[in-house]
Order: sequence, then C-alpha cells, then structure tokens
Amino acid sequence: MKKYINRIYMALILIFMYAPILTMIVLSFNASKTRSRWGGFSLKWYTALFSNTDIMQALYNTLIIALLAAIISTILGTMAAIGIGSMKKKIQSVFSAITNIPMLNGEIVMGISLMLLFILVRMNLGFSTILMSHITFDIPYVILSVMPKIKQYPKSTYEAALDLGASPLQSFFKVVFPDIMPGVLSGFLLAFTMSLDDFVITYFTKGPGIDTLSTKIYSEVRKGIKPEMYALSTLLFVTVFFLLILINQNPAEKEKRVKQYSVIRVICKRVLPAAIIVLIAGGGIYYHGTGGISTKDQIVVYNWGEYIDPDVPKNFEKETGIHVVYEEFETNEIMYPKIQSGAVAYDLVCPSDYMIDKMIQNDLLDKIDWSKIPNASNIGRTYFEKSREFDPYNEYSLPYCWGTLGIIYNKSMVKSPVNSWNILWDPEYKNNILMQDSVRDAFTVALKLAGHSVNSSDPKQLERAEKLLESEKPLVQSYSVDQIRDKMIGGEAALGVTFSGEFLYMQRENPDLDFVLPKEGSNVWIDSWVIPKNAKHKKNAQEFLNYLCRPDVALKNFEYITYATPNTAARELIEDSDIRDNPILFPKDSDLKNSETYRYLGRKTEELYAKLWREVKSS
Amino acid sequence: MKNKRKWLAAPYGIWAAGFIVIPLIIILYYAFVSPETSKFTMSNFAMAFSPENIKSLVLALLLSLISTVICLLLAYPLAVILSKKEVNQSSFIVLVFILPMWMNFLLRTLAWQTLLERNGVINGILAFFHLHRLNLINTPFAIILGMVYNFLPFMVLPIYNVLLKMDPSIVEAAQDLGADTLLVYKKIMVPLSIPGIVSGITMVFIPSMTTFVISDLLGGSKYLLIGNVIEQEFKQTSNWNAGSALSAILMIFIFASMFFLNKYDKDGEGTLF
Repeated sequence: MKKYINRIYMALILIFMYAPILTMIVLSFNASKTRSRWGGFSLKWYTALFSNTDIMQALYNTLIIALLAAIISTILGTMAAIGIGSMKKKIQSVFSAITNIPMLNGEIVMGISLMLLFILVRMNLGFSTILMSHITFDIPYVILSVMPKIKQYPKSTYEAALDLGASPLQSFFKVVFPDIMPGVLSGFLLAFTMSLDDFVITYFTKGPGIDTLSTKIYSEVRKGIKPEMYALSTLLFVTVFFLLILINQNPAEKEKRVKQYSVIRVICKRVLPAAIIVLIAGGGIYYHGTGGISTKDQIVVYNWGEYIDPDVPKNFEKETGIHVVYEEFETNEIMYPKIQSGAVAYDLVCPSDYMIDKMIQNDLLDKIDWSKIPNASNIGRTYFEKSREFDPYNEYSLPYCWGTLGIIYNKSMVKSPVNSWNILWDPEYKNNILMQDSVRDAFTVALKLAGHSVNSSDPKQLERAEKLLESEKPLVQSYSVDQIRDKMIGGEAALGVTFSGEFLYMQRENPDLDFVLPKEGSNVWIDSWVIPKNAKHKKNAQEFLNYLCRPDVALKNFEYITYATPNTAARELIEDSDIRDNPILFPKDSDLKNSETYRYLGRKTEELYAKLWREVKSS
Repeated sequence: MKNKRKWLAAPYGIWAAGFIVIPLIIILYYAFVSPETSKFTMSNFAMAFSPENIKSLVLALLLSLISTVICLLLAYPLAVILSKKEVNQSSFIVLVFILPMWMNFLLRTLAWQTLLERNGVINGILAFFHLHRLNLINTPFAIILGMVYNFLPFMVLPIYNVLLKMDPSIVEAAQDLGADTLLVYKKIMVPLSIPGIVSGITMVFIPSMTTFVISDLLGGSKYLLIGNVIEQEFKQTSNWNAGSALSAILMIFIFASMFFLNKYDKDGEGTLF
C-alpha cells in the first residue's frame, strides 16, 4: 500500500516536472507559426531548423561556453577546494563566505555587477566576457561539490603513499584524486548544467553579434518563439534522455559480463564523450567561421528586435563585402546606457524620436554626411519635416519606420464601437485588456484621455494620469510589450494597446482583429538611424544606410517588419493597393491632428514618470 | 607540505577578488553616488525606500516564502522516497529530476504560459469535461507555480544527498527501541537532514526572491517584484544608481541567509549532487 502511494506521489511530481516539456514537444510539431493555435501536424520546423544558421550558431555558442566554463571552473575549483581544505579555520571561513556570494547573490545583481566591471575596464562585451562570467558563477558549484569529499578524505592515506616512496604529485594523482573523483565529476556536471541554463547573467554581459540559446529565445519572445526553437529543444531532450539511459545501463552490465562488453564500455566511457567534444568544438569553429567575427570590413548595427529582414544584411554583405555584425535591443532605455558608456562601439543605431533628442542633447551623435547617401531622396519630405521636432536641422537622423499607438481589438469579442481610449476603462472588458508595459506609452493613453499633452511635465496632470491608470489596473489582464501580438492572435484578450505596424501581421494571422486610432489622439513616432560619435566604421555605416534607402530593399524590409516605411519610392512599389493606401498603416495628416511626437523631457521629469509608473504597477 | 598546498587556492583567490569582490564594490559605489555630480549621496537609498518599492519588496518576500514552503513540503517526501531506492536506480531517477534543467529556462516558463492561458491546455481539458474555466495566468498563483517549478530540484537534491549519507541503522535502532514512524521523523530523520533542508531553503528562496523573468511571463507584469524594479531601473529608466542602491539592499537579505546557512550547514554537507 505504502509502495503505491510512493509511486503515485513520484508520478505526480514527474508529471508536474515534464508537463511543460511535453508541451514544447507537441508545439514542435505544430504547423501553425503561433503557439496559441494548432495548425495540424507537421515536421517542417525540423527541416527549417538545420538551415537556420542563427539558431545553430546560438546552440554552438551555448554548448562551447558551457563546456569551456565547466572545464576551466572544474580545474580552478578543484585546486581551490584542495587549497582551502588545508588552510587555517579562519581563512577557510573567509574563502567559503566569498564562495557563497555568487550562489546566493541574485542572478540579476551578479549580472549587473559584472557588466559594470567590464564597462569600467573598457572590455569589449562579447564571447570572452560571457565566458568569464560563467566561470565566475560555476566555480562555487565545483568547490561545494569537491569540498565534502576532501573533508572526508583521511590524510593518513596520502601520507602512507608518501612513506612508500611516491612523489607528492604521484601520490596525489594515484591515491587522492581517484577518491575525490565523484565530487569533481558532479561539480563538472553541475557547472555545465548551470551554464547551459543561464539567461540573466549572459543577458547582461553579452555584446553584439553573439547569442546563446537563452538570449536568442528572449529576443524572439517579441514576435513569438520561432517553432524551430521547439524542434531544437525536442531534439536536445531526446538526445540527452537516450544518453542518460545508455550511461545508466552501463554499470549493471559491468558486474555480469565484464570482458564481453568491455568494448562497449570503452565506447561509452571514452569514445562517446570524446566524440561529443570534438563535434561541439568542430561545429563551433565551423559556425564561428561562417557567422562570427572576421577581420574583414564590418559595421556594428544596433537595432530593435525583429526590425529588419534577415536577408537584407546578408545581401548587403554579398554586394559590398562589408560584414554586418547585428545586435538587438528591446527598449530605448536599455540601448541608451550602452551608447553612453561607450562599452561597445556601434556604427549604426535605430532609436526613437525622443531618445534621439536626448542623444543629441548629450552630444553622443555624429552628423550624417548626406552627400554619401544619395538614396535618401527616396524618403518622403514630410518625414524629414516631422523629424525636426527632435533633430532641428536634419543633421543626425535618417527616418526608418514610423507609426502610431492605438487600440487593436477583436471584432468577435468587442460589441460596442471602438473609437476612444475610454473603452479601456469599460468594466465589461475586465480581464480582457492588454496594456503596453512601457512608461511613455502607458501614460500617453491616460494623458490623452484626460485631454493633456503626451509631453506633459506638469506634476498635477501626471498624477491625474497615474490615478486613471491605477483605476484601470483591475481590468487589465496583463502588461506586456512583447506578447500582445501572440495573445491577440490567440484570442486571449479582446483589446490591446499596440503600434499600428503590428496590425498587418496580426490581421493576417487572425482576420477578426482590427485597429483604431482613438479620437482623443495619440502618439506618432519615428524610429530613425543615427551614427554614434564613437563609431569606428562611419563610411561603411553610410554605405549601409544608402543601401537601406534603395526602394527594393526598403520594400523587402517593409514586407518583413510590416511597420510603415517613410520611403515613398518603396511605398509606390507595393502592389496591393489595400496595403499601399491603408489608412491604418499610412494615416493622413488630417487624422493625426490630435497626435504628437514624444520629446525628451529631461532627467527630473523622466524620473517622475518612472516613479508614478511604479506606483501604478505596485498598486 | 601543508603550507604549500594551500597555494593551490591562489588562482581562485585572484579570480574571486576580480570577479566577485570588485564588482560588488562597484555596485556599492554606484549606490552611494549621485547620478549627476558623482558625489557622495544617500538620495539613491531614499528613492529605493519609497513606499511602492517597499511594497514590491514585501510582495517578493511573501511569494518567495510561500514558494519555499511549498517546495519543502513537496521535496522532503520525494527525497525520502528517492533515498530508499537502490543505488543504481536512484542515480537514474535523480538525473531525471535534473534533466528538465537542460531544457532552456525561458522555454520551460513560456510553456507554462501555454498550459495556463485562458485558451490554454488546462482550460481546454476543463472545457472538454464541461467544467468551469479557471483564471490561472497572470495571478500570484501562476508566479508561485513558476517559482516552485523552476526551483524544486534545488530543494530535492540537497535533502536527498543528506538522507543518502544517513546511516540506516540509526533509524532501525530507534525503531527497535519502540519509536513509531512519526517519532522517528521528529527525533531522527528531520534533525539529521537539517543541513540539506537549510541549503535547499536558501537555494530556493534567493532565486525566487530576485527573479524578474517568472513574474514577467506568468504574472503578466501586474505584480511588481523587487527583481522587476531593479531590472526596470537598469533597463527602462536607465537609473543605474537607484538600481545599485536596490541591489545593495537586496544583498542584506543575501548575507543574512548566508549567515543562516553557515550556522546550520557548517561542513557543506547539503550539496546539490
């Protein structure tokens, strides 16, 4: 009876542990691109996976970093454990306190403190900084695994070996080491696992052009995880699972028929691990060579996630031989300190209007030499005129995408007419509303509803907006930036606050969705390319800008990102007139009379916005 | 001989100074310095102790405490069951509990989203049986579930390791002397597994306390935990000084738990593997 209870209990916990993994496996066979819809059984993501060099590269980066970090930290950690074991009690306790810090310190504190260190010593964020950070948080796990074995180990055995004439080195490797081996091995395994699974620390210490699986996945959340990722996880899971079974069967056979199976044992214990290491290392070198850093001419581009057709940089590279190192950011605010600190020398960055304002004010940008960008004439004049609000003489910025902030809604779920921000306060849609999780956009909704400017810095108006947002909170299902798209397509919510450019993609996936620009007005934004002062390849950057302004390239980009392009020549090339003259994507000036562009409001006001937003979120 | 051997720890000592101690000093420096003038100030801490931040700190404490307790309640019986298995079988089963950690942490958490959503798998099953749909996602419940799911192995493994080392004859002796099951647990098993329990508690409590990804993905960003506040200071408002001050406050909790850990797990018995 007790045995059954035990078994049922274990089974329940295993179901709990493996339910999400099962979900991932099922999703890898889903023909539909979004995870919220089942589009039938398909194997296409498995074939797509192997031709997706980005994911494969991220996989190899992940494995190589995990392996190198585990090996180095195992060596350093084992040595340290032996050393600490023979120290005096007092120094020992100091060491073990320091060793505990990386394990107990929140990952976020660790990640940030390491990032600050690397920025301070002007180290380029990249492969080496990730590796060093991983070694740092891996070592304590090794020490803690080896330490108990060393403490258990009787010193007399080692002394006996010395007495019998072995050298200290000999007696260590022949006598002591085999006994502490299990601790070393489990330390290695633990270090490897922790490094494989890390996201937060990698996220803060990585630089452009390098991604591990974690950071790759995180940047994909915005447009929905690519199903190839699920296919990859399924393959990894199956591989590891079979390896486990294989390794586990080994010891049982050992006792029965040692001689017969010795070949298998050799294969399992030596050949297999060696093969895996060679495979990882070889593959890493291969992919590193094809996609990684090279000595050729290059530019370092820092852009929003999913904000360029991946073929565009590749084609540019083919045409000009200039290699494009590409890095993505999610918010203007995470991009800004990286530029300000000069931790990475980016050649091209694509911030929004108010951030460009801030960057110009803080003297972080270089003037663009327009004579080098003849194709800039393809950009509509009105967009340059609008840019003057933040770039008064059109010296620093080249418009790339523009749009508005509005409401996306599901026609089958919303019965009343949608034309005002007001509907987001309608109790009928409790738990059916998705709000933008960014300070300025959330405040735009409330400020406009109350009839104020989106650039208000009047504390009274802002507090009023804060009260409004607070009263909306009980109705809100979630605050997000990344996931509004997925959730609206999947019919998870009736109303969402999002950008006009999202509409085209969402409506293709779910025809019930429609977009409206509320009558109170909203925010009109422009994202533009700028060249930072510390850019190393300004000439190449301008060549790339010229390439991006070519009508055919701009059209290709538009079709991929679906955000309105300011490139009028490209817009004329759009064949479908429903899209070309779409009032949502390309609103007329008369529709925008209540809408404003964001301006940089200064540090004090920025802090006030942030504080009020935190009050909303924690209310 | 002994004096020489301790120098083996020197490379690690240098590494730890460079990558553990110095970064912490940098954080403290930022925390005590004004963003505009780089002069000493306490204003970052004044900002850090605003009512809304204290609210998120308390919420983080509460949710991570609940998760830790649930983890302990789930993990202890499991560790006992596992420790009674045959040696061979048990190592396999232990690996089975580590295996999910090899799948990406973000993907696993996102998969929970698919399970918990309004039109998700669990509600789909409920609807199939004509049961009432549950509002699971974007609730504190979902956040706790995410914490328990992600950190449960860190509770199971240390307890399991301590139990494994326990001499079974002690339990037998107690039983021979007439102790019933409850008494055996109360007087023998639990007191002897304290190092594992303490190590498990810290290994679950600290990451739950500082997480920002789980509350973002499963809580719909409606519940601001202290980890989210810090992340936002660095990522959204780019106020590194206030973020550092908050990190410094968080460190107080970390050092407190370190003290706690050192007191009960002197020999580092409660290891993960």
